[in-house]
Amino acid sequence: MRKLKIDNLCVEVDGKIILDNFSLEIKEGEIHAIMGPNGTGKSTLSKVIMGDTSYKIISGDIFYNDKRINDLSVDERARMGIFLGMQLPMEIEGVTNADFLRTACSIKEKEAFSLMPFIKKIDNTVKKLNMNSDMIHRGINQGFSGGERKKNEILQMYMLNPSLVMLDEIDSGLDVDSLKIVGENVMEYYKENKPAMLVITHYQRLLDYIKPTHVHIMKNGKIVKSGDISLVNLIETVGYEKIDAETSEPIVSEVK
Amino acid sequence: MNKIKIVDDIISDIKLDDSISLEEVPKNEFFDVTSICLTINKDSDLRIEYSTRKATKLDVKIKINPGVRLNLEEYRYGKNFKIRYQLNLLEDSTANVYKFYDVSGIKEMNIITLNGKNSSIDYNFKTISTGFEKYNLTIYHNAPYTNSFIKNSGVNINKGNLQFNVSSFAGIGNKECNINQASRIINLTDNKCQINPNLFIDEYDVSANHSALIGKFSDEEMFYLQSRGIDEKTAHNLLINGFLTSNMPDILSKKITKNINKYWR
Repeated sequence: MRKLKIDNLCVEVDGKIILDNFSLEIKEGEIHAIMGPNGTGKSTLSKVIMGDTSYKIISGDIFYNDKRINDLSVDERARMGIFLGMQLPMEIEGVTNADFLRTACSIKEKEAFSLMPFIKKIDNTVKKLNMNSDMIHRGINQGFSGGERKKNEILQMYMLNPSLVMLDEIDSGLDVDSLKIVGENVMEYYKENKPAMLVITHYQRLLDYIKPTHVHIMKNGKIVKSGDISLVNLIETVGYEKIDAETSEPIVSEVK
Repeated sequence: MNKIKIVDDIISDIKLDDSISLEEVPKNEFFDVTSICLTINKDSDLRIEYSTRKATKLDVKIKINPGVRLNLEEYRYGKNFKIRYQLNLLEDSTANVYKFYDVSGIKEMNIITLNGKNSSIDYNFKTISTGFEKYNLTIYHNAPYTNSFIKNSGVNINKGNLQFNVSSFAGIGNKECNINQASRIINLTDNKCQINPNLFIDEYDVSANHSALIGKFSDEEMFYLQSRGIDEKTAHNLLINGFLTSNMPDILSKKITKNINKYWR
């Protein structure tokens, strides 16, 4: 079974601990939502899993499919099937989406890569995501609105067919209609492929479409509470402060 | 498409329609530089291919008549060039210039004179620098309502030593000029590169901007590409190709890609 396993991970940036003995396990077919106030290390977690070298792992391990990936490069991890839909996707002038995706897919699929199926798949996905077809021939995210960038991330997810999908605040910058399109397409991908999923968000609205099997609240670099979807409703009702300030039963019971 | 092919300082092939007139003044006992003078009489597209096999000096003068548009594409390769390039734009004329050089050793002086009201130049220059390359660009806004958009981009590799000196002038009375300079060098060596942007403005009613950047591709760009499974070398090639081909016409883009493959594959 495919799975992501993080054991007691400690990560620092500029001498500051961002992830503190963080542990988590996500199996294929599970959707884990991580919620929490700003600056708690949620985005750092996704970038560290992806292999961003700006962050230093002090201790702990990351395993994917039982292979330790701490020392693998970003592209090696991606080729293992790990995908990160980014909070702020980069704009890269001159490199067209088409060239970028063709290169990425041909590296992943090697000899099996064929141009016609690639074009057909990209066309269908662009339509499904209600994207403008000329975006494919523009520079990566060049002149794209916030919502278009997020759709472009989902397009890339579809094209690369990952087995571990991490979506970092994929709902930010999306209007109501775009949120519905993105949310429904992510769920459609999930139903078809049953990947392991990690969804980072601040708000319940994304989880109206993407239904998590597990919900975690993160604070100061660690998970302070885990539960099921009902935890999301609790957050909406009382906010993070009351829950994460005291994870003991009395305060939560009081709210109930 | 009008075409001129120059080898060293000799025109080796030429195909011009009546929109362009040409005068060639070969070097003689008094002047050791060949001059090529072009006058653009009607809207034209012109492609120049220029190569050298030995150290060469050349003087190129292009005059664009009133109300006329010139689209100029130039591809240059070889070594040891010394060039003076003069573009003279008259009233309501426009020049869209796209140049790509893959040369080793060049000193080029570009003088662009916007002599007529409402004249405008859009100058896009790309180079892969492997030796000493020095480009001096001087843009004179000699009339009101003139526009210049100067974009220089270079990738510096091997023994490359790239320098852009860009100076724009707008004198008193030349109102509502729009002056823009943007230069960027991706330096993939430890060699020194320079960009010297200068704006000499004597008129209050002028809009002027400049940007200059020397560096490598950002870690964020590399991370984004690699996070999609693209290895470091291929990601690098994609970025170089994108940097050098953006805003360039198709034929020059293909030449750029071919040259990139020569150096990076």
